[in-house]
Amino acid sequence: MSEDRQIRILYVAGALGFMAFSLGPILYMALTAASRRPDFLSRASGLEFTLAHFIAVAGTPSLHFLDNLRNSIVVSGCASALCVAVAAPAAYAIARLRLPGRAFFLLCVLAVSMFPPVSLVSYLFKVMGALDWINTYRALVLPYTAWILPLSLWILTGYFAQVPVDLDRAALVDGCSGLGVLRKVVIPVAAPGIFSTALLAFILAFNEFLFALMLTTDHAARTVPVGIALFEGLHGEIPWGVVMAAATLTTVPVVLLTLVFQRRIVQGLTRGAVKG
Amino acid sequence: MRLSFSGVSKTFPSGRGRVGALRDVDLAVGEGEFFVLLGPSGCGKSTVLNLAAGLVRPTSGEIRFGDRVVASPDRKIFVPPPERNVAMVFQSYALYPHLDVFENIAFPLRVAGAKKPGIDRVVTEAARTLGIGDLLRVRPAELSGGQRQRVAIARAIVRKPALFLLDEPLSNLDAGFRASTRVELKRLQRELGITTVYVTHDQTEAMSLGDRIALLRDGRIEQTGTPRDLYERPESPFAATFIGQAPMNLLDVSVLEEGGEFRVRLGEMELTLPPDQARNVRTLGSRALLLGIRPEDVRIGAGTSANRVAGTVSAVESLGREELVHVLAGGSTVSVFSRGASFREGDAVTIDIPMEAAHFFRNDGAEGG
Repeated sequence: MSEDRQIRILYVAGALGFMAFSLGPILYMALTAASRRPDFLSRASGLEFTLAHFIAVAGTPSLHFLDNLRNSIVVSGCASALCVAVAAPAAYAIARLRLPGRAFFLLCVLAVSMFPPVSLVSYLFKVMGALDWINTYRALVLPYTAWILPLSLWILTGYFAQVPVDLDRAALVDGCSGLGVLRKVVIPVAAPGIFSTALLAFILAFNEFLFALMLTTDHAARTVPVGIALFEGLHGEIPWGVVMAAATLTTVPVVLLTLVFQRRIVQGLTRGAVKG
Repeated sequence: MRLSFSGVSKTFPSGRGRVGALRDVDLAVGEGEFFVLLGPSGCGKSTVLNLAAGLVRPTSGEIRFGDRVVASPDRKIFVPPPERNVAMVFQSYALYPHLDVFENIAFPLRVAGAKKPGIDRVVTEAARTLGIGDLLRVRPAELSGGQRQRVAIARAIVRKPALFLLDEPLSNLDAGFRASTRVELKRLQRELGITTVYVTHDQTEAMSLGDRIALLRDGRIEQTGTPRDLYERPESPFAATFIGQAPMNLLDVSVLEEGGEFRVRLGEMELTLPPDQARNVRTLGSRALLLGIRPEDVRIGAGTSANRVAGTVSAVESLGREELVHVLAGGSTVSVFSRGASFREGDAVTIDIPMEAAHFFRNDGAEGG
């Protein structure tokens, strides 16, 4: 067997193995959701296809699944937009200006993001209680923004640093103001980086559990991860089929977002900016 | 528009304290002139350009556009780049990758808030002038180096700038294309009549393009003049070796004076100086001098003048039409252009150094390279 062939086989086997490892749980989730009984792997029950769980999730008002999903999308979307809006100008300044102690500043920002959420949540609960914000969107949007901002700043600084400085200089000579350079040249050129940062921020906020559990009380602001965890069957048993159907539906917005933005993210926009 | 620098210095902060990039530079570029800044890398020529564009602020001195002061730290004046109406072509071209060719060229007009019909007309016109009219909907990533460079030039000219700044615009092109673009650039500049400052490290480019050239070295202006001035009357060994197809030969000589007649001693040989050269040597007032002679002025093999030197061929470079022959004579190597006759290493030859064509410099160890 030629070396090329061996490499190819190892490559494919590795890729398949990794896919099985990553997608296995998701497949199990989807199958459980679509199966009449959750123990579809056992010989006694077997896999019997049904959409009943999906219909139950979407159609049972008392579960508030659709409310939770809307809350999740609104909260994550706001947090993500706010993160990028704040991080982009900051990252541009860090990437371009000769600020003294730039590296130290970035490290401090990173250190702030390292606080474990659990050490903050009780304090946040008190603050939000005092502000009378418990169970509102802003009670989640603000902590999420603060929590994800450092990471966004790091990622965007990297992307902006890759935009050739000559482009800034050309735009300045061509008549742009400092802010114009950022708006008309740097941000469009770094757009793939901005989209991936926004997507990452969205996913992080979308998956967050602890703050959402503590700072919301009902379907007015409760997000999907908490909502699913609090599903309960009629007699206290865990309704696996419904839980899995809800979890499956929850992945849909994230997958859709990724698919929509994927082309923009992959696009090598900086190619051809300067020589080469 | 005239551009003038008076006593401009620029230092940059760095890890080792402040580093001087430019020291006390005086420049005057005339209306419509094609002015070339020539020098080796790191001599500060791009800094001059950036100062003119307003991309860097001078540490001291004064920069004027016509009679208007655009930068003067003493008087706390600094006009930022967007208000200077200059256009710049970067070595990297710096095309906006997210915009197609049309939008790249239109960019300065859009920023200035021009009307759409006007933009269409001006951009199409500029693209046609530069022969890129059929590329208007293409993104920069799909263009060749030469096409990108044309887009960069088109973007620079659409706005009718007061000053046109070019930072080594030809250095990323292949040799053949570079020569033809050079001619075109010169023609374009003549037609537009825009005052132009052009930075290069290539003396051929400088000589063929420039109305005048400023030769820079270590942040100072070494010499300013027309290409002919720099070629025929170099003021320093550095200028002498930097300008010219092959660098000027610089030979260590000592001066002898006997009864009003000046002679120079080169190794074992003594060469007599004609009267006007004797005057030059006297004004230099030093016994140890550098004799500069261009390879194209030295004759090899033939010649019967008194100033003939015997030597041995140490190397031969073929340049196609002619050969550059390196001859070891009187303890130094002299390079000579030779056409017709062919030489080989080890050949015993005589070379003729015509004193009328010689240049003399003080030998203070500050030899250029």
